[in-house]
Amino acid sequence: MAAKKTITIKSIFYTAVSFTWIFGLAAIAHIVMVLIEKHNPVIKYDYAWGCAIIGFLTIYMTRWCKRDGWQSFWGVLGGLGLWFAWEYSLMYGGHRMGVTYTFNGSYPEYRIMKWSFMAFLMVFTYLLYQESARCNFIYFLRRKLKLMRGVVATGKIDNYGPRTAFEYIMITWAGYVLLMIAYDDQIFGPESWFCYALFFVSFSVFFYLIYKLLGYDKFGANLRYAIPTVTVLWNDVEILAKWGMLKEPWVHINWKIMSVIIAGFAISTYLIIKDLRRKKEGMIESKDIV
Amino acid sequence: MKLWKLLPVLLLSTPLACLTQGEIEEADVYKTPYAERMKMAEDKFYAAQKEGKTVTGVIVEGNTLFNNTIEPQNKPYKQPYTQEEYDAVAISAERNSKLFILTEDGTLYYPTPPQGQLVSESEQAHRIDRVLTEEQKKGPKMFTWATLVPLIGREVEVSGEIFPGYSGVKGINIEAIQFEGLYIVGQSEESV
Repeated sequence: MAAKKTITIKSIFYTAVSFTWIFGLAAIAHIVMVLIEKHNPVIKYDYAWGCAIIGFLTIYMTRWCKRDGWQSFWGVLGGLGLWFAWEYSLMYGGHRMGVTYTFNGSYPEYRIMKWSFMAFLMVFTYLLYQESARCNFIYFLRRKLKLMRGVVATGKIDNYGPRTAFEYIMITWAGYVLLMIAYDDQIFGPESWFCYALFFVSFSVFFYLIYKLLGYDKFGANLRYAIPTVTVLWNDVEILAKWGMLKEPWVHINWKIMSVIIAGFAISTYLIIKDLRRKKEGMIESKDIV
Repeated sequence: MKLWKLLPVLLLSTPLACLTQGEIEEADVYKTPYAERMKMAEDKFYAAQKEGKTVTGVIVEGNTLFNNTIEPQNKPYKQPYTQEEYDAVAISAERNSKLFILTEDGTLYYPTPPQGQLVSESEQAHRIDRVLTEEQKKGPKMFTWATLVPLIGREVEVSGEIFPGYSGVKGINIEAIQFEGLYIVGQSEESV
């Protein structure tokens, strides 16, 4: 569990940079997929293989990164690579099985992903009882539901790279499954109470997460915590687009807005790398939580 | 044993081996820039329209049509379904029941892959180039592709190769599609 945090100018700066970087990464990832589909869909499965391999190698590479900041930085990119491969694998599966788009416009790959919710729950159940999991939400559930026989969490963390990659994958997976269940007209539907509840809960939780994020003044923890913060906000972005109230610039290929996002991503990447290169302190110490 | 260093090279070269002959042939199509491809599809569509070779009709769902549960052919053209029927056939369509184009004169067209293609997927599963009307071009950016499922019950005009089919039901390999309104009703349009 994180120690008591104070919000400083420094932590605000770190939050802004981390948030911009993770948000920019998600937006760029989306537009890359859209551009491939538009200009040369033939390469998409080869691209997916490339992403899977590079993602895996990136995660593997983090074993040589001593600091948790670098590990988290590469972990996010590795997780994104694997996530790309997973989405394209579902696209391929949809193609092989002739899965159609839905009448409210959901894509085949996400229709298939929706039914992975039980697989998600199985993995989540494991994490719920995995002592070294450090997710604040899981802590909350462990405490409130009295799930653990012993301490809430224990064990020193050395491998932030794969953990960050896994965190990125799990949170993105959760976001998609939730959205797709919300969009399904045979379960809830885009105009259902569930979709509205998801929108407003995500909106509220986003501010809470931003508040928590402001307490982290190192790029390691800050980058990792920015992942759920951005993903929760992304739920609202997706729902607004589904309701026809927002035109996503990465889907509509609005280059003016995308230029700003790409510039923000480039600057934040520079600032993160500059900061991580400068810092000399070692790994952060993770104490047992009782 | 430093051969393990070759592993990344081996892994990275794997995608090249994934390109099958079919994909390479398909890749040639995409050497033409997107805008040019869309212009070619549009020109082809309007040429077919000028020659009266396009097909105009409403998209109807096959299961309820062929088991005589719903009779869109006996309803006013452009109103093939009641709201209750629409809700049902839309679900069936996204569960991949077959869709047809029913013209005003009662001819039924079954969307097919191109002639000669042996292995194919459902025609409802892939994107079709959409030709925008002049009015649509002037408005906000819209989808430049469409799939058949969201268009169920709506009137469309399609161009493509028509086949004699069987037992009165004709086949059509849809190359381009045009329709009024949004692709997904109630949602923002995309420019992809």
